[in-house]
Amino acid sequence: MALWIVLGIVVVIVLWLIATYNGLVGGRNQAQTAWSQIDVQLKRRHDLIPNLVQVVKDAMGYEQETLTKVVQARNAAVAAVGAGPAQAGAAEAALTTATRGLLGLVESYPQLKANDNVKQLQEELTSTENKIAFSRQFYNDSVNSYNVRRQSFPAVLVAGQFGFGPMELFSMPESEREVPKVALR
Amino acid sequence: MAETTNFVAAQAVNRRNTLILLAVLTLLAALIGYLIGWVLVGSSNPGYGDGPRGVPANSAGLVAAALMAAASVIWSLVSLAFGDKMVLGMSNATEIQKSDAPQLYNVVEEMSLAAGIPMPRVMILETEAMNAFATGTRPGHGTIVVTRGLLEKLDRDELQGVVAHEMSHLANLDTRYMVVVGVTVGLIALVCDMALRSLRWGSFSGGRSSGGSKGGGAATIILIVVLIIVAILAPLAARAVQMAVSRQREYLADATSVQFTRNPNGLISALTKLTEAAEPFPGVSRATQHLFIVNPVKEMTADTSSLMATHPDLAARIERLRNLGG
Repeated sequence: MALWIVLGIVVVIVLWLIATYNGLVGGRNQAQTAWSQIDVQLKRRHDLIPNLVQVVKDAMGYEQETLTKVVQARNAAVAAVGAGPAQAGAAEAALTTATRGLLGLVESYPQLKANDNVKQLQEELTSTENKIAFSRQFYNDSVNSYNVRRQSFPAVLVAGQFGFGPMELFSMPESEREVPKVALR
Repeated sequence: MAETTNFVAAQAVNRRNTLILLAVLTLLAALIGYLIGWVLVGSSNPGYGDGPRGVPANSAGLVAAALMAAASVIWSLVSLAFGDKMVLGMSNATEIQKSDAPQLYNVVEEMSLAAGIPMPRVMILETEAMNAFATGTRPGHGTIVVTRGLLEKLDRDELQGVVAHEMSHLANLDTRYMVVVGVTVGLIALVCDMALRSLRWGSFSGGRSSGGSKGGGAATIILIVVLIIVAILAPLAARAVQMAVSRQREYLADATSVQFTRNPNGLISALTKLTEAAEPFPGVSRATQHLFIVNPVKEMTADTSSLMATHPDLAARIERLRNLGG
């Protein structure tokens, strides 16, 4: 009788371990997939910006300062790729600010705004900014629920042993929290 | 519920309401199956109601209830397999690539990232009316359809709100949900109709041949009257529940839309424009009306937001979105 009770308890514990392990794996995978989505969008932005800079430069010879700032921010962001959420986040935030400056610049020059290439690039860049924001939102939500799961009792008892460490949020400074709004008329 | 102030709570409330409604619907279907099995087998059984001989009639009720459940499952599976092909075939929408409408395509891509689900197909329906719908019964095989009128008259934020609403239907698996609800309701209507027909037929043949039995006669007549009443009322009740589920899912999709965009103003402004336009939609049947973001068949005014409306009143939806934003 006692043997059966012990056996029963062991079976329950093993089942619980399996469920906990699988749950953590699922949560971590979702967060990792979400991270790779952010990566795709960041890379896309890095590729798009030189095009926009070139088009603006061709259309007009002035406003060099804004253009230089954008190019510098972009290069810094490219260099930060793979450095982890914290560093990449800071560089990307700076790039967002610079890009927004450029998009604002485009807005204030009617001849630029009318340029079809610029229009198209503007939509692409706006969308990429949004995609970064939305994939970041989904990544952070995923990381959040994963972290909560691994810290919750009783999963917290075994999460460490299984090698499920905490994951890092991808944060950008407070002013960058909102989806950049670029008026497209 | 109008005082709900965040989308997480709104989603929880909606999920719970939908579950309750589904349970009511299932119970109704099982009850009808049971009653019909009982009465039909019982009334053609001369000894019905005479104590122990009434028992087989009861088990016939259970069998009928089980048959209802089985038929419902099979019908649901078939609908789930072919449902979205049929809907898309009926609607005449054409699939687009990114180059055809870059902004729309981008917005859909953004929302699929926000929802964390695979990119659905994007289609445009060539009509001036402003509307949109989503279909797809498997995750990763969704389709979002918007009308040309919608695309032309909404700005980027508004379009994003509408697309987010449709993406919510896909993410919450509403399309699948409504198929199952629709099948159950259809089955209830079908079976009640069959019961009424066979009862008419049965009362002339079986009823007369069993005229010799006296004790069971009165009980059988009472049961038949009950069945007739139930068979007439049940399809209406089931339909009302289906519409209630549909309205709950619309509220849920509005709330989830805000979770994705974190910007209730886009959808509010889009819904306001849709209210103002409110032109009926040519070529849409009642069979697909529940799919759209606003009801395409009839104008949505306060008095159409009744028991039989697929969608909540637009003003009520805007009101709830305002509360989310506040």
